Amino acid sequence: MKIIVCLGTGGVGKTSVAAATALAAARDGAKCLVLTTDPALRLRTALGLKPGLLEQRVELNDSPGELWAALLDVNATLDEAVRLYAKPRDQQRILEHSIYRTIAHSLSGMGELMAVERIDQLIRRGFDNLVIDTAPARHALDIFDKPVLFADFSDSGRVRFVSRTYKFAEALGLTTIGRNALEIYSRAEAILGSNMVREILDFYSLFYPIAEGYSERARHTVARLRDPKITEFRVVTIPDKAVRDTGFFIEELKKRGFRAGMVCINRAWTHELPSVIPDGFAAELLDWYAGMSESHRQSAEKVRETYGADVQQIRMLHELERDVEGVDSLRQLADQLQAAPLEVRP
Amino acid sequence: MASSRLIIFCGKGGVGKTTLSLAAGLRHAVEGHRVLVVSSHPLPELALAVSLEGLSARFPSASKNFFVIYIDPRDLIADLVRQYFPVPMMSDRILKSAIFMNLIEVAPGLKEFFFLGRLQELAERKNDDGTSGSLPGYDYLIWDAPATGHFLATLRSAKNFEVFLSGPLATAGAQLHRFFSNPENIQLFPVTPLEEMAIAETVETAQVMSGEFDIPCSAVLINSASPMCTATPAEMALAESLRDSSPAMRFAVERGWIERERRAELAAVLPLPEVVIPRLTHCANDLDLLARLGERMDLSQFS
Repeated sequence: MKIIVCLGTGGVGKTSVAAATALAAARDGAKCLVLTTDPALRLRTALGLKPGLLEQRVELNDSPGELWAALLDVNATLDEAVRLYAKPRDQQRILEHSIYRTIAHSLSGMGELMAVERIDQLIRRGFDNLVIDTAPARHALDIFDKPVLFADFSDSGRVRFVSRTYKFAEALGLTTIGRNALEIYSRAEAILGSNMVREILDFYSLFYPIAEGYSERARHTVARLRDPKITEFRVVTIPDKAVRDTGFFIEELKKRGFRAGMVCINRAWTHELPSVIPDGFAAELLDWYAGMSESHRQSAEKVRETYGADVQQIRMLHELERDVEGVDSLRQLADQLQAAPLEVRP
Repeated sequence: MASSRLIIFCGKGGVGKTTLSLAAGLRHAVEGHRVLVVSSHPLPELALAVSLEGLSARFPSASKNFFVIYIDPRDLIADLVRQYFPVPMMSDRILKSAIFMNLIEVAPGLKEFFFLGRLQELAERKNDDGTSGSLPGYDYLIWDAPATGHFLATLRSAKNFEVFLSGPLATAGAQLHRFFSNPENIQLFPVTPLEEMAIAETVETAQVMSGEFDIPCSAVLINSASPMCTATPAEMALAESLRDSSPAMRFAVERGWIERERRAELAAVLPLPEVVIPRLTHCANDLDLLARLGERMDLSQFS
């Protein structure tokens, strides 16, 4: 069992690198799955991804292994968790609860919680390798913190206690004044309004059995993700952001006691320049290309100087001339990943 | 002067919203306007570039009117708690309470909602210098918005509060939603490079913004364009004839054709004014980059 977690900010081609990483593993004979959140349309089509809970097998004729792909559909995963773990009589109430519907609308934080749930489901399904394409953001590593925080919170019994006493106070016909004895949430009420507080507590008391089961699975899954023998972290970036992104993610990984594996500097302009420079607009165009190319090399060099000791390897992957249709674009990237490293100029 | 409109730079992650917000802000500050750039994520290095001494040395006039802030909604909520409970011992106790903080975190859209409230307050300040006792306003208020998904979720939080809740928060939600659905208050500038995903998101955002919020786009900011993008037919022909002279030339020409195709596709779906901002090379430093980008970004032509 091997898990590769790809980290990166938006617009760096992280999903493509993740999928190509999975493809490379499949070529080596593994049964490999890439779990992604929001792939570009072309990649989505190439991988045959559809919303929902099913994994799709990607047809390869040049590989002894298997390549599978799955979309992290947060709503579907959450609904599924409700169906699997809530008492039958509560299911409909949860699915129709206004807080649940609002969560489904504004998803902040749910992505991380559900990613871990989904990883757990996939591990159970017997894949040798998982490549996780995290949310395209700096808070991607929340995937390790949020589920555990949530688990601690749900396990503490605090929410259950609060919602019970709150409901008890209401059932006894105690007014706001009576509820004031329960100090903290009367403060919360003053700010959020009693409706909001009641809705949240009511939702939590319904959601509690799901949270309990979830917590147990999440702790187990996060433990695997924390195991360096199982999990490798791969930073994907582009030349313009390479120094900043690499520094940021290395720092975030260190905080959690992890070590970065590969840094992929994607979409680098490393194409060969002509020895004789033509005239006119062509010269302008080449000068522009050369300027970009030089700045790309410089940032890769800076990454090597600054963080070389903190990572296992640094790779530059050159940008393709034209977007290639389908799985072929991934093959080209996988070729680059499997080839001898294009060394960063010393 | 009436209060200024809120200028929003939106788009996919990594398309250059922050860079262009700062570049446009710098340009108008150099012209002598009071400018505030509001970021909803912690400030990156570029923002530091404009806060450093380089700015006052190179643009002495701008350094007095150019402001860049990061708003953390948690701070706004904490301020509110302190207003309700002025005794520090009490407010600290609430703020440190796990139950309260968890309520804030699990209440969907609450942080976004407070952020919008703060933006509205900034936008409604009068454009004077604050000498009359009121808080000073800004000639250009630019929101460097989060990436599309979170940006739309933020705007929708007001509507969600109105629809799903009742009481004072619902009223506030309705009022905020009105503000953010009124084209008199908002100017929207999607930022996009000529790349498939970014363009698709731009089109989608434009549709959502006009459909759900009644806010049209003022102009599309086409970022990171290659020289091929604005080349004349003769220049294109020359470049094409040299396509196979080197791998670098092939890449540059190929890239240029793709960009021109995408630009035409975008214009066909979203017939809007365009501002083409080249991908600049050979910049001495970040401040130099911002100043040179700012030359292309006269937002006053759209007001």
